[in-house]
Amino acid sequence: MTLHDFDDLRLDHLDRDGALRQAADNLERTSRAGFLAVAAGSVAAAAALARPQAASAQLATSDVAILNYALTLEYLQDAFYTEAERKGALSGPAAQLARVVGAVERAHVKALRNVLGKKAVKRPFFDFRGVTEDPPQFTRTAVAFEDLGTAAYKGQAHRIKSPEVLAAAVGIHSVEARHAAWIRYIAGTPPAAEPFDEGKAMPETLRLVRATGFVVGRPRTGARGAPRFTG
Amino acid sequence: MTSRRARRFLLAAAAAATGASLASLAASGGHDPAGESPSRAPGPAVALAPPAEPAFSVPAPETLQPSRFESTWASVRSAAVVRAAPRRGAAVVGHLDRRTPEGTTNIVLTRHRAKDSQGSLWVRVSVPALPASVTGWVPRAALGGYGVVRTQLVVDLGDLQLTLYRAGKAIFRAPVGIGTAQFPTPKGDFYVRNKLARYRNAFYGPLAFGTSARSATLTDWPAGGFVGIHGTNRPDLLPGRVSHGCIRLRNEDIVRLARLLPIGTPLRIRA
Repeated sequence: MTLHDFDDLRLDHLDRDGALRQAADNLERTSRAGFLAVAAGSVAAAAALARPQAASAQLATSDVAILNYALTLEYLQDAFYTEAERKGALSGPAAQLARVVGAVERAHVKALRNVLGKKAVKRPFFDFRGVTEDPPQFTRTAVAFEDLGTAAYKGQAHRIKSPEVLAAAVGIHSVEARHAAWIRYIAGTPPAAEPFDEGKAMPETLRLVRATGFVVGRPRTGARGAPRFTG
Repeated sequence: MTSRRARRFLLAAAAAATGASLASLAASGGHDPAGESPSRAPGPAVALAPPAEPAFSVPAPETLQPSRFESTWASVRSAAVVRAAPRRGAAVVGHLDRRTPEGTTNIVLTRHRAKDSQGSLWVRVSVPALPASVTGWVPRAALGGYGVVRTQLVVDLGDLQLTLYRAGKAIFRAPVGIGTAQFPTPKGDFYVRNKLARYRNAFYGPLAFGTSARSATLTDWPAGGFVGIHGTNRPDLLPGRVSHGCIRLRNEDIVRLARLLPIGTPLRIRA
């Protein structure tokens, strides 16, 4: 299955801002190319270490694509928890989780944007359709998001060329797994029910994200027509 | 030797052997130097590489700082009746369309939320109306995603001045033209809902912002008589009471304002 095999999923409807499409296209392009030479990627990553804030130009193309994919999912989580905290509909353990996890997801976004620099995909626009304002729905969705985020990181780990990028990615992955266990505990779901976790491929992850309907087109608040205001 | 004593002896011997092995391993730095212990079976005592340094670090998480300067807006996803209370059957106070007269996505400022007896979520919103904005309730399902701004725009009709605040600090000021006594600029709390550009009409200057404010006197004006904030081809008249209710800025000022003013910004027009 190639990444374009899920055209029938109408990614454009999921992703009117193009952020996910950009991440998908980048991953697909690097897949077709067989990724760049591993040695070159390693050298580039080693060089990136010396100047971590200007690293994106020196990362392998495939690693940039994977980091952008991760950034897109982090945007989703960041927006979800931040909105939940702003709306103030949660209380008790769920409110505490939203506050703590939201701060962590914002930090992940900041880190990924820093390392990607100008190559970072832009933030999509989200419509959580009231889920952030309804405690039971919030909890169920948070369980799904954290399980998905954990599986998505795992699903790309074997494709990361740079050991240094992999080290950073697994550092985030285990944090996502802790979040998943925490929200599962709050939801009354076994935090660690399985002895082995599968990773999730990108098409499957995007399909699940699309099914939420949470990624929408940015409202069109600009136009070129002549004004008809009173003057 | 009884079986219990034999078991104790074996356990003690095993513990001693394990301790000796660990001590030996520690003393050799984890290596088994070739030739020094030929009788020991080769094991996995190879030097494992230290963990790679992460390519980037994650900054310390920062908690959300609640701010009294934040305002939230939402797009209108579907046309809706605005009601006086959060329940179906409450008095109608207005209607919301998906589009503005300019063809842009309609947005509203959101304030509170409530659930009705069926458990459905309602949101209190500001709605353009005459003679001034009103607030009312719409089902959450009629609204789209939320946006957040930390800006506020204030037009002082007495001082003929516009001020943009960000997080409570003034970041932009400019003299303005406002409505004449016959066509006064309405006072009250409104919001900026769209931006028009690249049109060819020197009267409005290079840029125009649409607001939720409506003229109380020009009710039959095309497109509903909404008040805009725009440039002008008569900067010599500013500041002054010269317009049909719109807020006019010099062209260089409206261009500067456009770089700072996000859509959804609350607008207060005061005497």
